[in-house]
Amino acid sequence: MIYLDNAATSFPKPFGVTEEQARCMRQYCGNPGRGSHALALAASEKIYECRCAIADLFGSAHPENVVFSMNTTMALNTVIKGSLRLGDHVLLSDMEHNATFRPIYKMAREGYLSYDIFPTFSNDPQTTPSDICRAIERMIKPHTRMLICVHASNICSAVLPLAEIGALCHRKGILFVVDAAQSAGVIPIDVEGMQIDALCAPGHKGLLGPQGSGFFLLRDGLSAETLIEGGSGYNSLEGNMPNEAPERYEAGTLPTPAIAGLCEGIRAVRRYGVENIGRHERELNTFLQERLLKIPRVKVYTPHHIGSVLLFNIEGIPADSVGQALAKYGICVRCGYHCSALGHATLATPAGGAVRVSPGIFSTWADMRTLVGAVENLCKNGI
Amino acid sequence: MRNDFKSGECVAIIGSMTQAMRAQSILASAAIRASIVKADSSKTGSGCAYALSYSCEQDDNVRGVLYNAGIRPRNFYGG
Repeated sequence: MIYLDNAATSFPKPFGVTEEQARCMRQYCGNPGRGSHALALAASEKIYECRCAIADLFGSAHPENVVFSMNTTMALNTVIKGSLRLGDHVLLSDMEHNATFRPIYKMAREGYLSYDIFPTFSNDPQTTPSDICRAIERMIKPHTRMLICVHASNICSAVLPLAEIGALCHRKGILFVVDAAQSAGVIPIDVEGMQIDALCAPGHKGLLGPQGSGFFLLRDGLSAETLIEGGSGYNSLEGNMPNEAPERYEAGTLPTPAIAGLCEGIRAVRRYGVENIGRHERELNTFLQERLLKIPRVKVYTPHHIGSVLLFNIEGIPADSVGQALAKYGICVRCGYHCSALGHATLATPAGGAVRVSPGIFSTWADMRTLVGAVENLCKNGI
Repeated sequence: MRNDFKSGECVAIIGSMTQAMRAQSILASAAIRASIVKADSSKTGSGCAYALSYSCEQDDNVRGVLYNAGIRPRNFYGG
């Protein structure tokens, strides 16, 4: 089996991840932050170790501002709904995933806020960070309170210039929220240097952890309303949730085995090196793109960029049919709209969307050669 | 908080487990050993809370290090 769907979730996981999850379940899976017996403390120590690893990886000196959540979607919903107020205006990019677009769309539909979508010019090879920032600046209103954008697109190789956008947001007093679902563990991120107010990321993609280990990292001093309330392990006699992160946002028991696994995933990412992982994926996609562009009937989207994700179509064959045909070769790719109506509209993909290839750290040149051969066969012989 | 203080044992009530771990880590960086204990819920006024237990000989150092790190314990006991 050739797994090229790492943008959905990375697979396989490093051996240490699965081992640590099992070790946690066998040896120290008490309830973290609840009680003070040996198992509760051991679980708490592992959770805190993971907070420190995340803060360190993303350039924050505040592990207490790392808040665990089920996934990036949950993290984004918490930040968005907890921070925005009635009448606010929001800016989001034209490459957003539904994890951002849908909460904003619903709040706008209900009359709670208004929003505008800024262009990333992803189809234009000449675009500079200044072009994007100028477009954003033109759309800022007096009541613009938040800007949300993906770091790396989940459907193509577009990467947004976080440092430049962060500087602009900081200058204008706008909260800067980043969806790092595709970039965490693949592209270096420095929340301080990039002036990010809230970084939302999954544990189960580029950080090589298990599903259920997402998080957001808040700028120190930033506080939001809670999305859910419940047990926090302390201040139990008070009706209000505590004011301090992370417990303020973490009502209920945390998934200790998943977070223990994430801790090992981050250790593996550190060992390989974030830049090395990103380079490996880009090199594979460079090879793939060069080969695909030579095949008549194949269209590659945003060929002027090379990233960890490559999007293509075969003329005359619906994307889902391509995916099903590739599955017969044992190749796992994702087809359709990839939960990104905005992104597909921006790239002008046809009805049915497109085929996404997303290699990971364990993908090989042989994997890409097999994929190229399969696509050549499909183009020549049909499905 | 435990009521069975050993002589020479001091306790700083912190609050959440995360803040207690952070405080413990900061003290460790200053070569001060401290253990995390659960505070006596009847003494915190707000229910459960976590605390740091340390030698009272280090009391001044503990207070200074935590203060400089921006950590404000709710209360101190023992001695």
